[in-house]
Amino acid sequence: MTEFVLALVLGLLFALGTFLVLRRDVVRVVWGVSIISQAANVYLVTMGLLDGSVPVLEGHGEGAGAVTDPLVQALVLTAIVIGFGTTAFALVLTYRVYEEHGTIDLLELGGETDGN
Amino acid sequence: MATEQLVVAPLLVALVTAILTLVVHRYVRAQKAVSALGGVAYVGAVAMLIQRVRSGAGSHGVEGVLTYQLSNWGAPFGITLVADDLSAFMLGLTAVVSLLALAFSILYVDEAGQRVSYHPLYHFMLVGVTGSFLTADIFNLFVWFEVMLMSSYVLVVFYSGPRHTKAALQYVVLNLVGSAFMLLAIGGLYSTTGTLNMADMARRLADPASFGITLAPVLGLSAVLFVVFALKAGIVPFQWWVPAAYRAAPAPVSAMLAGVVKKVGIYAIIRLYFTVFANAAPMDLALPGVVGESTLAFFGPVLFIMGAASIILGGVAAVNRDNVDDLLAYSSIGQVGFIVIALAFAAGGVVAGWQAPEPYGSVAVLGLAAALVYSLNHALAKAALFLASGAVYESVGSIEFEDLGGIAGRMPLLSAGFFVAALSLVGIPPLVGFFGKFLVFDAAVNAGSNLGIGLALLGAILTIAYVTRAWNRGFWGERSEAVEQATPQYGLFATVLVLAVVALGVGVAFDPVVEAAIDAANAALETGDYIEAVGLEDSLTSDGGGH
Repeated sequence: MTEFVLALVLGLLFALGTFLVLRRDVVRVVWGVSIISQAANVYLVTMGLLDGSVPVLEGHGEGAGAVTDPLVQALVLTAIVIGFGTTAFALVLTYRVYEEHGTIDLLELGGETDGN
Repeated sequence: MATEQLVVAPLLVALVTAILTLVVHRYVRAQKAVSALGGVAYVGAVAMLIQRVRSGAGSHGVEGVLTYQLSNWGAPFGITLVADDLSAFMLGLTAVVSLLALAFSILYVDEAGQRVSYHPLYHFMLVGVTGSFLTADIFNLFVWFEVMLMSSYVLVVFYSGPRHTKAALQYVVLNLVGSAFMLLAIGGLYSTTGTLNMADMARRLADPASFGITLAPVLGLSAVLFVVFALKAGIVPFQWWVPAAYRAAPAPVSAMLAGVVKKVGIYAIIRLYFTVFANAAPMDLALPGVVGESTLAFFGPVLFIMGAASIILGGVAAVNRDNVDDLLAYSSIGQVGFIVIALAFAAGGVVAGWQAPEPYGSVAVLGLAAALVYSLNHALAKAALFLASGAVYESVGSIEFEDLGGIAGRMPLLSAGFFVAALSLVGIPPLVGFFGKFLVFDAAVNAGSNLGIGLALLGAILTIAYVTRAWNRGFWGERSEAVEQATPQYGLFATVLVLAVVALGVGVAFDPVVEAAIDAANAALETGDYIEAVGLEDSLTSDGGGH
């Protein structure tokens, strides 16, 4: 059941992210990108068996059942930190775009001629 | 053990330099000195590593493949760094281009820019590139990609004018989506194969039954991963970020992006698809137009189509550009196309086992060697040309063809550098470009691909067309007013000239280079050695290559 719900949530997150990336507003695009990368993180976590026990074995490991893979969680931590940095940069860049062009509408940005 | 620690030397040198330049950022002169020294030390570290690898030092009894296990955690539990002939070749190319581009930057980037952040960013980018070439862990590869990209984002938007912010926005958003895809593919590969270590993955894929792996998802996941590498290498249909980004970045950064960062994508394709995925046990692909049971049977045609499209699109678009940087950017799309079709021939060679004359032995080796030599040529020539374009901008104040003309008479030194680099791009002997083109043609002939020969010819003709146009409009003809009033920057010209001389020198003394390229190609194909050197038991059949 959890797997079904998670698959559904993942699908919705990717759909939402894709929808936002295709918007005209640059801020929405940045949201979309960060939602996609968070969705990728959730996907990574689900790869490590969700209903297992902690990967610390009790009682000399007797009767240990399936453990949740701790590696994917370490990977996701790394990916979250990287995502944090890139999102912050993308937002600052959006602000710079607004300062330079006076707009964050992609159609208006695209319509401008390339000048120095 | 000292030999194995040498694997991390280039990485550490670049990292320490990046941090030191941050520490001394208040003192511009000290920062420049530290940065330059770091660049030289990087070349030294790479040279030592190459010397060790080429002289046959190795780990676990495998000659020429040095591995370094982080914190001495054995593979596949720790992160492994591997320096073999392939990594050494790419690092060598990086070292030469990065040092000269750095020397150029110190003279070119304005004082304020250098004080703000230029040097730390440049060295952090170098850290990312070096790490990508050395790592044997796919998640670690993702991390190095991010290190490299994060610095390159800021370097692309460095001047932060209207044009630069727009180009950077496109570049950043595109690469962020690319990174999410890479993460997805890595997660999928981990859950399918149960490992992140490339050597371990190759071992498990070769013997899926005993590790309980289903092979079918691996093809799809590797295709998702391929998209990310194609994006980094800027091949059609993922090429459209290239011109804007290269034009926006400062000239030495464009030289690094085109010369080195693009090659990271090419390297990743060679390392993962030829060393790792090519060794997967035969699988039933059942896809239209795919003959064979290897993953490369699928990627061969894909590489060919993408390479062919890149050659045509890049070449045709480069012919009628209005300024030097745009022309060079489109040209680099076309030139990477040459590298990619050479990879396609190599993939075909692996699948069909085509033979080629000595010293190559097989089309697989010949194609990979062609791709590597062409990468070297493109790195040297295109970096020299981007630096030349920067030197023109600094001297004349414009790189629009309508403002240029007659530079050859006004600034002969710069023109000589541009001319030699342009000839190398076209492929005139004895420059390295000639051997690059020659090997690509040789691979096409041995692969029996008439279409490939035709494409390479078309690409060569297009290259001649746009290079001639750039030369005629910019360097010959009547001197324009702007050129007449130019203030020549001889320091900048010298770096361009040095790169051009390197392109000439590599062409004249080509024997060791082609030997290194052939060894690198063999290293990419000898998965068994790679696995053993990492310290894992080789489950591949004992024929060595595992094909």
